[in-house]
Amino acid sequence: MIELKNYAISRRLLLKSGFLTIALSIFSRGELFAEVVPLETIALLQEDLFPLAKELESRSDLYMLIILSHSKIAKKDKKFIRNGVKWLNEEALSEYKKIYTKLSSKQRQSLLQKISKERWGEHFIYTILQYTLESLLGDPIYGINKNQKGWEWLEHKSGYPRPKSAFL
Amino acid sequence: MYDVCIVGSGAGGAPVAYELSNAGFSVVVLEKGKYYKEEDFSKDELAISRRDMYSPKLEDEYHIIKERTQDGSIEVYDGREYSWSFWNGSMVGGSSNLMSGYFYRLKPNDFRLKSTYGEIKGANVVDWPISYEELEPFYTKVEDVIGVSGEVKAHSFLEPRSTSKFPYTALQENGVTKWFDKACNELKFESIPIPRAILPIDALKRGACSYSNFCGSYPCATGAKGSSRAALLQKCKAKIITEAFVYQLISDKSKITQVKYFDSSGKSHTIKAKIFILAAQPIETSRLLLNSKNSFFPNGLANNNNQVGKNLIFSAGGTGKGRFYFENLSKNEQETLMQRGLFFNRSLQQWYEFEAEGKKYKGGTIDFLFEHSNIISRAMREIYDDKGNITWGRDLERKIKKTLTTSRVLTFEVFNDWLPTNECFVSVDESKKDKYGVNVGVINLYGHPHDLKVGEFLAKKATEVLEKMGAKEISMSISSSPPPNLVAGGCRFGENPKTSVLDKNCKSHELENLYITDASFMPTGGSVPYTWTIYANSFRVAKHLLGVMMEA
Ligand SMILES: Cc1cc2nc3c(=O)[nH]c(=O)nc-3n(C[C@H](O)[C@H](O)[C@H](O)COP(=O)(O)OP(=O)(O)OC[C@H]3O[C@@H](n4cnc5c(N)ncnc54)[C@H](O)[C@@H]3O)c2cc1C
Ligand code: SF4
Repeated sequence: MIELKNYAISRRLLLKSGFLTIALSIFSRGELFAEVVPLETIALLQEDLFPLAKELESRSDLYMLIILSHSKIAKKDKKFIRNGVKWLNEEALSEYKKIYTKLSSKQRQSLLQKISKERWGEHFIYTILQYTLESLLGDPIYGINKNQKGWEWLEHKSGYPRPKSAFL
Repeated sequence: MYDVCIVGSGAGGAPVAYELSNAGFSVVVLEKGKYYKEEDFSKDELAISRRDMYSPKLEDEYHIIKERTQDGSIEVYDGREYSWSFWNGSMVGGSSNLMSGYFYRLKPNDFRLKSTYGEIKGANVVDWPISYEELEPFYTKVEDVIGVSGEVKAHSFLEPRSTSKFPYTALQENGVTKWFDKACNELKFESIPIPRAILPIDALKRGACSYSNFCGSYPCATGAKGSSRAALLQKCKAKIITEAFVYQLISDKSKITQVKYFDSSGKSHTIKAKIFILAAQPIETSRLLLNSKNSFFPNGLANNNNQVGKNLIFSAGGTGKGRFYFENLSKNEQETLMQRGLFFNRSLQQWYEFEAEGKKYKGGTIDFLFEHSNIISRAMREIYDDKGNITWGRDLERKIKKTLTTSRVLTFEVFNDWLPTNECFVSVDESKKDKYGVNVGVINLYGHPHDLKVGEFLAKKATEVLEKMGAKEISMSISSSPPPNLVAGGCRFGENPKTSVLDKNCKSHELENLYITDASFMPTGGSVPYTWTIYANSFRVAKHLLGVMMEA
């Protein structure tokens, strides 16, 4: 458990968390097809799943770095996120011969419809939505929910006292 | 050598620490969690509700759950894989920091369930070895020392009281309680204000409630909530050793001689004392005894009659809800509905006992309260549509916005007896270890079918009130899934050592200096949340111990 005073998502954290920023190799029929940076796939997926989060500057993609290095998130859950990115890109490849970030918006939505019918896909969409909502509606101390815009959107009044440090 | 060593600093352990240290005895409390105080607390939903800041990580410490279904088959779950947690609060003060403080006494008949309502097939119902009258003075003591607020209102099942009023007046209430009272009036139901272990004013050297809107599951930053930390441990001289995980008790044939604990770096330490008190919450208390076997007690300490861990109970019942939509309300009513922070505090106990087919049955309690204010959880509840399909994009955004800003959910919780049975108990798995290398606890679960019948009966009454109030989308869910925060039994008290672990003073039948003061002692749980009873009983045992120690 690490607790930093006035924690905000920093470049340091970005560099530290290789998990989402180091390229992932996607293979097609045994051959290396593409290298994807998981964070790029996730950022676009978050926009597709909940466009408002970006519009309200929730910094949802950077929040995923907190999640991937969080002391209380189980290893299996972290692994699932990385696998989800891989499987989503493999699906994109088999449907459209392109990785997710190269698809048109329409193609991405129909791909999401398709995977939502599968167990892993539904769970993956749910997982990413969950963390996106956390970044939209969690306390700004985590470097998210900028100027409490997420709370304002839902006319939410936070509880007091607010946290003085982030729980990581 | 200490006079008294207590394992666990929650509602069960703290009253003994408070009474005995204030009487001048040397007391040490071993607590597995950290020491957080008022100034450390906030309403950080991400930390507290989503990342379980105050509970161990399941990868490190977990349970195996063996659930017996109604057809007799047993399904096994590894808590880690299923994210099924039975931890409630590892910190000084334990889960009493996080409780909502809905406070109820048991009723006189709860102490004599068997002689009042008779046997139920497949259930080990018994009478308690003490009566309500014996516990009453300690219920009153809790009102004064922990601080209970409310209004005493006459109703069919009001328990006898030695005082006419609570020491503190009721907390401020949300205006929707008036709609509730009106509906109950029309239905001829008795609406009762719920007492709370919360101070409405500065008192007892603690701050008043600030109506923070985030009470249940969140620790209290003003000290108003009657946690065992704020009310007792911060007001006594007992020494508290934190981050001390007790893993073994050492005994000879008649006495505990020492306890062993690991500190946060994994180093083992030993504590010696004259008297030992266990209060680690029932599942952990039984696990500790079972994991402490030795040549005198080959089945686990105090377990030569194979009673430790047996007759584990929870609170049976379930929940339900109804939604109030702006479109059915006037502007004023909409504002009342959305008032934040003020409490709902209403319950029904009219069917604490009821008749069906000419026979009397034990019923229970129904609490009403607004849906928790956690904004992330409420938004997440909208991810699935009415047909059970996952949704996303603008559709989901609109759904969340509309639901959360133009409606509010009133929920209810049903509490009835979880009948004790042979099939619901704690054991340990010697092949599975936690991060300390200690055998993990196994929770063997079984809900008696009778519990469901009673729960459904009560839930239907609750839905009648919601309907009368004009709520929509009314639903209920009664099941035998156990609420991890309301757990009791495992080391029941009784006269007969063959069928109980503790005597009427909560001393182990088999060891002369071992006492248990969490909810493990309860042979039946009553039909209410039982923290008030845990506190009261612990004060009762403390009084007995004072006598014993003065004499010595
Ligand atoms: C969210 C929530 C809401 C609740 N609301 C209500 C309510 O409205 N009304 C009500 O009556 N009750 C309520 N409760 C229940 C109430 O909190 C418990 O009944 C009460 O705290 C139980 O007391 P205890 O001493 O048995 O356990 P706790 O208070 O949990 O204390 C046990 C302590 O033992 C420590 N411990 C465990 N194992 C070890 C070990 N091996 N070594 C050292 N220390 C150990 C734990 O860390 C913990 O601090 C609620 C609980 C929760 C979690
Ligand atoms: S201030 Fe009041 S509402 Fe807030 S946690 Fe404390 S007792 Fe509960």
